[in-house]
Amino acid sequence: MISNDRRKRLFKAMTERELDVLVVYGNAWQGDYLRYVADYGLLEGQGLAVARRDGEVTLYLDSPLEAERASVESPDLTVVYTPNIIAEVEKAMERAGNARIGAGPFKLLPRRLAARRKDLRLTDETAFIDNLLMNKLTSEVDAIRRSAKLADEGYAVFKTAARVGRADYELIAEVEAFYRSRGVDDNFMIMGVGGPEVRGMAPPAGKIIKQGDLVTTELTPNVDGYYAQICRTLVVGEASADQLTAFNVYKEAMEAGIAIVRHGTKASEVAKAENDVFRRHGLGDYVTSEYTRVRGHGLGLFADTKPQILEDVHTPLEAGMTIIVHPNTYNPTVGYMVLGDIMTVTQDGHELFTRTPRELFSVPAQ
Amino acid sequence: MRRGLMAWNTDEVPASALAERLTRLRAAMRAQNLDALIMYTNFPRPSAVTWVTAFTPYWADALLYVPREGEPVFATALSKRVAKWINSVKPVGELVNTMRPGKTVGERVAADPTIKRIGILEMDALPNGLYEDLTEAAPQVVLVEGGKAFAEARRVIDDAERGLLAKANTIATDALAQVDVATMRDAGAVVGAVEKAARLAGAEEAYVHIAVDLAERAAFARVSGAAPLGSRFAVRASVAYKGIWVRRARTFSQDAADRDADAWFAQALAGLKPGQPFSAQFVHPDIEGYIAESCVGSYPLEKVSETGGDVAFAEGSLAVVTARLLLPHGPWIGAAPVIVGGQGNAALRAA
Repeated sequence: MISNDRRKRLFKAMTERELDVLVVYGNAWQGDYLRYVADYGLLEGQGLAVARRDGEVTLYLDSPLEAERASVESPDLTVVYTPNIIAEVEKAMERAGNARIGAGPFKLLPRRLAARRKDLRLTDETAFIDNLLMNKLTSEVDAIRRSAKLADEGYAVFKTAARVGRADYELIAEVEAFYRSRGVDDNFMIMGVGGPEVRGMAPPAGKIIKQGDLVTTELTPNVDGYYAQICRTLVVGEASADQLTAFNVYKEAMEAGIAIVRHGTKASEVAKAENDVFRRHGLGDYVTSEYTRVRGHGLGLFADTKPQILEDVHTPLEAGMTIIVHPNTYNPTVGYMVLGDIMTVTQDGHELFTRTPRELFSVPAQ
Repeated sequence: MRRGLMAWNTDEVPASALAERLTRLRAAMRAQNLDALIMYTNFPRPSAVTWVTAFTPYWADALLYVPREGEPVFATALSKRVAKWINSVKPVGELVNTMRPGKTVGERVAADPTIKRIGILEMDALPNGLYEDLTEAAPQVVLVEGGKAFAEARRVIDDAERGLLAKANTIATDALAQVDVATMRDAGAVVGAVEKAARLAGAEEAYVHIAVDLAERAAFARVSGAAPLGSRFAVRASVAYKGIWVRRARTFSQDAADRDADAWFAQALAGLKPGQPFSAQFVHPDIEGYIAESCVGSYPLEKVSETGGDVAFAEGSLAVVTARLLLPHGPWIGAAPVIVGGQGNAALRAA
């Protein structure tokens, strides 16, 4: 089981780092640190897991509904329901006595716990856990490979659902129903519908699809806790010459980025390879933070994990990392476009997981 | 993340209702001698900021800074490319897209010498990174827990919120009605049908949990795919509509005793009286337990009472009640929202 593989690795790494206790925080937004340690995916409330080097893990939850669910989904865990979760974990940390305690992600840790940093000799172990999260075990990569297949299948459902007269949120309903039928419990998904007025993707706002619209989406299903992502753009009806011309820049940029993905390449180099294509086409303004966020990112137990693919992030890619390369941004002529493929980094290059063709898809307008 | 319909509709939440909430909040801040109140939001803890601004984030975290006077400031880690969308669904507050919302709010605080004492809603739980940035940028201010001021203002459920509750309740009820005991064979079919119906009806979010075989275990889990259903199973739909959450749960079977339990539950909820201990009013010979949840802070719903508790709900309060019976033929689970008091249930049924 993946969770057993992870735990073995975690406790070995804690021993090497001489950490006696590790406290991790999670919620439904950022749950990867918690999931790595406790193998539980939160939906409501907050969770804190306390892992001891001897292999004991206690999961503290402040929702009675989540505690009930954890007892079913993670029967091997010691689950503690407490409405005063911060105070309870603080007591657990105090009980650890002279043990060496680390915590992460430190920026999300409740303020009251972080305030005990000095007297409990609490250390920030965010980077330590990040390293485990980024450099994946074979079983973790296998899970992402399975997620990527479902990302392809989910996009096919999305494409079929995109028709004139449908509301944007109806497409999401179709995709989610498909995913539940396939045992996918969670999915990160945003979208865009329209033309040059669309500057980015967001949750659906009730927009009705019409002929000529670009329909973008970023689909991110989760299998066994692991997310894979696909980004694609479709046109309702025949694509215009401007839309096709614009799309070719995104395709060229994505392929330029993917071409250099291998062990040792820096995240910044991948971003630069993508952005240079836009610059060559006179679209350099549109690779700035005014119009786009990142040129790709890691994936795993979080849908948007490190490393971020940006020109100022010089993290070297390592074999076992899983990333998406997506030069998503605004185009002033046709609007926001997206295109992204997921892959795992290997010593010699990468293994691409996405199977959906790199096309500007066209769906019938009638 | 939130991925269903997210929109601000002035017919549902008029600007005047939001202005009235802000006025009440500021009056409560004055009563607590607070020069400003800061509220944290991310999508697992959106509800305080949603109540003030009508905005729920789909991703990332943010702070809402409400000084005693002037426009509130909404500092969010969501990037500039979605600024247009945020402004289309967030009618209250100046928007600042920033990688460091704590620093941004701290700088605003530091620039105003009249701000000396600030309340932070749920201060102990504020993420450390935001807190450190805030205190570094504004070291001169005194920070105190602001929950009392917020709770005082939040106590009243206004017409806008009643309308959203009614809509959410209708969505959850109708979604659960999609379950067909005769034809559905596995958890994926049930959960998919319920979630699809909720989302097609405009749910902002739908968490659908299932106890696949009550004869084996009466506990809800996130199960989908091909898990087979028992002859008696229960489904819970937790549904958000425009930031307002309800839960409904039903026990599904061919057994008439379960329908009797449904009728008891509906009657017990309809008869709940304000000002009286909840547990004394919630009586059944086979009751195993109950919990009552409400929205009182940043969580969409949190437990406020349970079996044996002596909490009395005020007139007009929201309670989402989950009850469990241990009937002779097995466990029964039901959940539904209620607005306590004479007019409450009529309001919930109105949508």
